[in-house]
Amino acid sequence: MRTLRAFLRKEFKQALRDPRMRILLFITPMIQLTLFGLALSTDIKNVDLWAQPDSNDYLLRRIYDRSVESQWFRSASGDHNADPFELVRSGKADAALVSPPGGLSRAVARGAGDLQLLVNSMNVLEAQAVEQYVRNISNAVIEDDLHIKRPEFPISFEVRVLYNPTLETAFFMVPGVMCMLLSITTIILTGMSLTREKEVGTFEMLISAPVSATEVILGKTIPYLVLGIVQIPLVLAVAVFGFGVPMRGSFAVLLVASVAFVCTTVAIGTLISTIASNQQQSTMGGFLFLFPAILLSGLMFPIENMPAPMMWASYVDPLTHYLALLRNIMLKGGEGSFVVKHVLILIGMAVLLILASFRRFRTTLQ
Amino acid sequence: MKDSAVEVQNLSVRFGDFTAVDSISFAVRRGEVFGFLGANGAGKTTTIRVLCGLLRPSAGYGSVAGVALDAGEMAIKARVGYMSQKFTLYDDLTVEENLSFIAGLRKLDPAVYAKRRDSILAFITFQRPLNALIRDLPGGIKQQVALAASILHDPEVVFLDEPTAGVTPAARSRFWALIRDLARQGKTIFVTTHYMDEAEQCDRIALMRAGQIVALDTPARLKAEVFPEQLFELEAVSPVHYGDMDGLRDHPDVAFFEPYGMRFHVALRKTVGGENLRRELASRFRVQAISPTLEDVFIRTVEGERR
Repeated sequence: MRTLRAFLRKEFKQALRDPRMRILLFITPMIQLTLFGLALSTDIKNVDLWAQPDSNDYLLRRIYDRSVESQWFRSASGDHNADPFELVRSGKADAALVSPPGGLSRAVARGAGDLQLLVNSMNVLEAQAVEQYVRNISNAVIEDDLHIKRPEFPISFEVRVLYNPTLETAFFMVPGVMCMLLSITTIILTGMSLTREKEVGTFEMLISAPVSATEVILGKTIPYLVLGIVQIPLVLAVAVFGFGVPMRGSFAVLLVASVAFVCTTVAIGTLISTIASNQQQSTMGGFLFLFPAILLSGLMFPIENMPAPMMWASYVDPLTHYLALLRNIMLKGGEGSFVVKHVLILIGMAVLLILASFRRFRTTLQ
Repeated sequence: MKDSAVEVQNLSVRFGDFTAVDSISFAVRRGEVFGFLGANGAGKTTTIRVLCGLLRPSAGYGSVAGVALDAGEMAIKARVGYMSQKFTLYDDLTVEENLSFIAGLRKLDPAVYAKRRDSILAFITFQRPLNALIRDLPGGIKQQVALAASILHDPEVVFLDEPTAGVTPAARSRFWALIRDLARQGKTIFVTTHYMDEAEQCDRIALMRAGQIVALDTPARLKAEVFPEQLFELEAVSPVHYGDMDGLRDHPDVAFFEPYGMRFHVALRKTVGGENLRRELASRFRVQAISPTLEDVFIRTVEGERR
């Protein structure tokens, strides 16, 4: 116990003495979340819109003009015969309006018509916003110019979202970013702390004392566990107060889930540090884990769309479970059985990982 | 041997196919300053690590501070102090924080720790504030604090692996004064070094080569044993090419030959041929009979064998 206390005191002092480390631990996650959040802002302007220029198609012309007047859109260059798909693909236009054969006006006169909107949705949120804007403007034009009231609209709207068919919302992204930031700091810092001792040589001093593997591993992990947990309310505050992400579930449940998750990430960092012999290797190892873990977690790409082997890989990815928990707790309020299941999975992973570290850790040199 | 602080019999350490320590045997008396000399990779550090409980030997028996090597690392670790050749303090912690962390590692009672800390810092005459960061201390002082840290738990045997590497000569001699003081207090000091002047200060020294102990005795007896012949120093009267000296190196009456800058150390056999050679050399060099230095001993035993 005395050894453990000495360890905790030492680790906290080392971690918190360096002002750069303090910034890394407490300020960086908040700034990153703010930046990510702002980058994901739904307020979109200056979207390059292209429409087939057809002097006879009065209605399409009106929709296009009102779109440009709205300032959300700008006219995209592109001549009469341009292929709208090609324009969007090449980036000359962010969106393109394609009228039905014969023009939108004639189709409406016939009483039915499809107006097609091609949207480049590399940026999911932009695509959603564009769709909504064009839909609203078209509706307004039809109401004002043709004096037809909803729901008897003669045109239906067909949106073709290119390049990213599943649309996700900002509320969906912010928990993902929280999960990512938390894992980056905890895994990298934990991994580095033990390898730094190996590299500098203090590790030899450490194990020249009669300490057990348990004392060393707990002494080296608990401080980072605590620092990781301290990050949670900070990042959560930015998410809720900065971006208005709803917090529908209980904070206590979220904290339990987060502690379970930080246990797994700290355990991963510890395992990495028992394998790596210097800080470079440890950082490399951390990122080697993090990149696939982030990609597989469902943060950017929906897990449902992954091929089966990737899907399986995503189930053994702790980020997947924490992300599911965060989204469920924050957005849906946290469903009991769902939360329990994923928290248990995380705890199971943490236990396995810590056991693996114990197996690898030696208080003698090789 | 009841009064042996360290005793080792046929100790071997193998890493895969490589034999780092090859069946060595020796004993160190209590209160002795025991030096370990050898080229890099000769097996000094590996031996020390075994004796500190940091490595398990592949074969052999031994005991350290009365604890058998196979009694478990924990028991050995509790009885010995170890200062590795790498830096063993935390640069970003203060002197007090480092010492109190180590006290925690060694489960010292806080009151005992405070007393030990004060007496050890007085022993090394540490006069800086306790809250000075280690990285702000000069190299020699750091080394002394590291020594203090390694004897905080009052071990019977202290292992110092190249403790004075990279510090100034003044700091080295200060450090060695501390080592002698510790030995006078009854502690056994087991030290490795590359400095011959430091080796001279040891009670006994062991010379290691390729995992084996090739010589072990007091510095004076080692010199006599290794050099039964008379050693001469030759100083060139006129410029000499090393190439011209090769004949001398292979001369049947030359037992040892080694250039020392502009001078040469030559051991001549006590034969008629040797006497003739001495007279012949006297015509070309200023020849002076000298007693061998530990460096000559080291070169002849540790490095000379390959010739």
